[in-house]
Amino acid sequence: MSLLDISTLAAMFPAISAAQASPEVIDRIPSSYSDFVIPFVAGMVFFLCWVSIGCVRIFMKIGPSDQAKFWKSLVNPVTAAKNVKDLFCDCLFHVKIWKRKPLLGYMHSAIAFGWFMLIVLGHIEVALFLPKHLSPRAGGLFYPIFYRYFVWINPGHETLRGSFFFFLMDFFLLYVLTGIALAVFKRFRSIVLGMKNTTRPSTPDRIALYSLWLIFPLRLLAESFTADLSGGSFLTLGMNHLLHLVFGDSLYFQPFWWAYSICLGVFFAAMPFTRYMHILTEVLWILFRNAGLKPSHPRKGVSEAEIYACSSCGLCLDACPMNVQRKNLRFSSVYFIRFLRRHNERKINAIADKCLMCGKCLALCPVSVDAPALRRAQRRTVNNLLPYDYSYLARTSAPAAAPFLGSAAPATASASGPVEAPSAEKVMYFAGCMSHLTPRIIKAVEGLFKASGTDYVFADRDGGICCGRPLLLAGKTDAAAEVIEANKKMIEEAGCGTLVLSCPICYKVFSEEYSLKGVRVLHYTQYVKELVGSGRLRLRNGGAKYVYHDPCELGRGMGVYSEPREVLGLVSDLVPAGHERKESLCCGGSLGSLTLNSRDRDKITEAAVSDLTVNSPEAIVTACPLCLATFSRKSPVKVRDFSEAVLDNLSA
Amino acid sequence: MVDFGFGIVPSSRINLDLFDRAKFEALATLEPDVRKCMACGSCTAVCTAGTFKATSLRAAIEEIQNGREKKALEMISGCQLCGKCFMTCPRGINTRHLILSIVKIYGEEK
Amino acid sequence: MKNNVLIAGAGPAGLEASAALQRLGYNVILIERSETIGGHLARWDRLFPDGESASAALDSLIEGIWGVKCFTDTEITSANRLGKSFNVILSNGIIVHADAVLMTTGFDLFEASKKEEYGYGIYDHVITNADLEAFFRNGSDPRINNPSRIGFVHCVGSRDEKAGCRSCSKVCCATAVKQACEMRQAFPNSQVYCFYMDLRLFGRHYEDMYLSAQRDYGVRFIRGRVAEVSENLDGSLMIKAEDTVASAPLKVSLDLLVLMAGMRPSVSGARIGSLLGLQSEDDGYFRVMDGILDAQRSTVPGLFLAGAATGPKTLPETLADARAAAVEIDKYLSVTFPEAKDFKQLMRKGW
Repeated sequence: MSLLDISTLAAMFPAISAAQASPEVIDRIPSSYSDFVIPFVAGMVFFLCWVSIGCVRIFMKIGPSDQAKFWKSLVNPVTAAKNVKDLFCDCLFHVKIWKRKPLLGYMHSAIAFGWFMLIVLGHIEVALFLPKHLSPRAGGLFYPIFYRYFVWINPGHETLRGSFFFFLMDFFLLYVLTGIALAVFKRFRSIVLGMKNTTRPSTPDRIALYSLWLIFPLRLLAESFTADLSGGSFLTLGMNHLLHLVFGDSLYFQPFWWAYSICLGVFFAAMPFTRYMHILTEVLWILFRNAGLKPSHPRKGVSEAEIYACSSCGLCLDACPMNVQRKNLRFSSVYFIRFLRRHNERKINAIADKCLMCGKCLALCPVSVDAPALRRAQRRTVNNLLPYDYSYLARTSAPAAAPFLGSAAPATASASGPVEAPSAEKVMYFAGCMSHLTPRIIKAVEGLFKASGTDYVFADRDGGICCGRPLLLAGKTDAAAEVIEANKKMIEEAGCGTLVLSCPICYKVFSEEYSLKGVRVLHYTQYVKELVGSGRLRLRNGGAKYVYHDPCELGRGMGVYSEPREVLGLVSDLVPAGHERKESLCCGGSLGSLTLNSRDRDKITEAAVSDLTVNSPEAIVTACPLCLATFSRKSPVKVRDFSEAVLDNLSA
Repeated sequence: MVDFGFGIVPSSRINLDLFDRAKFEALATLEPDVRKCMACGSCTAVCTAGTFKATSLRAAIEEIQNGREKKALEMISGCQLCGKCFMTCPRGINTRHLILSIVKIYGEEK
Repeated sequence: MKNNVLIAGAGPAGLEASAALQRLGYNVILIERSETIGGHLARWDRLFPDGESASAALDSLIEGIWGVKCFTDTEITSANRLGKSFNVILSNGIIVHADAVLMTTGFDLFEASKKEEYGYGIYDHVITNADLEAFFRNGSDPRINNPSRIGFVHCVGSRDEKAGCRSCSKVCCATAVKQACEMRQAFPNSQVYCFYMDLRLFGRHYEDMYLSAQRDYGVRFIRGRVAEVSENLDGSLMIKAEDTVASAPLKVSLDLLVLMAGMRPSVSGARIGSLLGLQSEDDGYFRVMDGILDAQRSTVPGLFLAGAATGPKTLPETLADARAAAVEIDKYLSVTFPEAKDFKQLMRKGW
């Protein structure tokens, strides 16, 4: 497109030349339409159609009970307040990113919040200063977007209110531009913004990305060319003076408004096929999320909103423990979601099966897209149909034939009476499958029970039934329901008021899926904390230098971070690891992954060990049999269990 | 040719001619670790389901290669995927995925 | 001029090579990291397959090193190349100008506690093969209390990718069979089980030892790896394995469990190796020039290897390897330092 000067323009648009001829008229409207709005309008209309159809599709796939839940949540004041807070914090301010990487947070919030404010302020401006002879609808949907083109004010008659808005608009435009500048910079040197790996954009992503980069500089140029006529503040007016210096009085504004409109049009038309769809979808997802809706299918209904809420920001790339090897980058959540959008079944399954389910991508995701849950849903579509035969559970769960209870009776620390109503004093210890391969845990936990005089039964001394979590992780939900039922019956018949578990995997599923009536479910770190608090265990500080490793299922999975640290702080000198709490690294032994081989797992273990030993502790202390066994094989420093560390430091 | 009738007696002998190589290759593509087993029996020793029902991944791998697929499926049908075998396998075989893969290739959907 | 040869590690390989090189007319400096010489042999009681005394064998090896400069409690602190030779600084302050270096750094025993499921260091009655040899030497161990049911677990830290050691340690099967027989001698009323994955007994007389274990000592050999150990209420151990021959899971109560800890590449050997620029293979043992034709020469000229530093070996193999290394070093030094030839010939006439 060739540049036009003002005289050519005047010839083309009589209204403009009329305006030029009589500068004393305020609020001159050359027209409420110009051809350059066509690209924007076309793009926007396409986009809005797509979004409406998408919303209908999503709602049609959501079951009636979930729909009711959703509408109710909107009117519930508590969820409504949370919705507003989350929409501002997650979508606009990106608080979660700010907390971790301030510069990256600034970049995201500058673009999101800045653009949001430009749109809001633009509309307010139109509403307040709409020319008198124009009805509010005259300009159509493009009017507020190109307001500065359509409204020229007399420079001598600037209103105070106008200049206030001029300032705000310029301020937020500058704010967005700094964000865009950072985004461009991030493409080349992402590490400066704290990202080692960034997402590989798809072709539509690139188209949208480049148009997004161009939108705001073009808007600045377009508005600057006419700033002396339409009004502006420090940025646009300053830019206007500069342009006058360079180009004299020739105003090449028309091509810039065209370019601005084309970029907007391209961006909105491309949006449904790109990561930028998240801008709108994350609103829906946050509402769903806060309403407590859970995806039942990996890509339909609630999940559709969820997968389109992913902004492909790539924070999950650096978060993923598998990515100590670059070849595993393609198994990250961001690509899983991308392939879910593309319905690429083969790749979806490969990625779904590889994941360790450590939950770090979920913990760090700016909009809490639950990729592990989507993966479980995907695994379910394949594995839940596989045949199995648990008919033996029916035989075993009959009380008389229950082998675990039969042999548990002599394990009672004190005389065990007949089965009564659950009493909180009576503790059932369920070691779980994995603890049986780490005798040090069982031995130390029993030691702590004895030292504290706990009245306990050891439910699975001779082996029990699996808790069901590994089946759930593999997507075999029907099978999991059967083992859960069998265990539940066993626990309820035992009449213990407290169930203590030494395996975080068991702890998670017993807490979340069993709904045991009248039974408190505790991880042993929590139970020991209680024993210490009530004075039944007295500890001394042995002075050893320990580092604590957060097991995934206990920390990110169940939010138990402080109890083990508080107790370990009493018995030792606790030093921090490189990554702690929700940032902690998976040990590599997780049962979450179905296909990750042992060599790749070793790499993850080595990375986790070196992260844990940055402050040269004497021992790594953890509270999970799987982490313990995994570290034990690879760690150059001693690996101890939480229970051992406590048992060694009892004071008489 | 004289048929003395011995051929009609059902034999308990393993008949390697019944081994379905193509199917096994499909399994090995899905989970290459199936070729890594050295039959130490650790998986069977620790098996949670094995307390209740004869369950053995080692035997299943053996039976598949002996052409007795039904028996192989029977040996893992009670599996709870608890992962003890995965923890204990000295060759680091991805046992849980192997079990799922065997069922996928040799089992019929319910 | 006499060539200096530095030998790192005074185990059987180091002792045997020292003796041979000394006789060939070289100035041998033997260094040992620990306080005593003899390596693992010094901790052993009797040797397979014939039950020879380990201390007698060690004594005769020590007799051979008369005239060798031997430093115990000494490590290499730094080493660098100086022309055709090496300039090696020892921790005792001595600087050695070595024309050839022989690494006889041997192996470490696998740390049995790394196999969490066996409960070594947790349960009262779980010991290792080395603990049992110490018991045979000293006659007492609080963990061994007149056991009537004894189990041996082969391949602890051998043939175990998870434990980071894929290879077979070669000597444990024979050691287990030997120790099983010895336990029956010590506790005649006991029942002994050996849990093996594959019995790898291939030397001369080894089969006789195996046969004797079966026939004379009634040792029960069970093909299956022990995978879970728990404690009964009476303090005895409950072992779970699969009898893979019978194709059924198995459990048995035992009073003593002996873990046959395998061989791992020596950690301190690896440290010296990196000072000298030696290469290791994936399994952690040093790389040799050629596994068949050139098994004592490293990839660094003037640097030689013998014994378990290049992989698990039995004692006779280690000694033969050490003698072979001595010949290789002699060949190398004669070619590299021809001017020292006359002196050597003079020395050898004297023998």
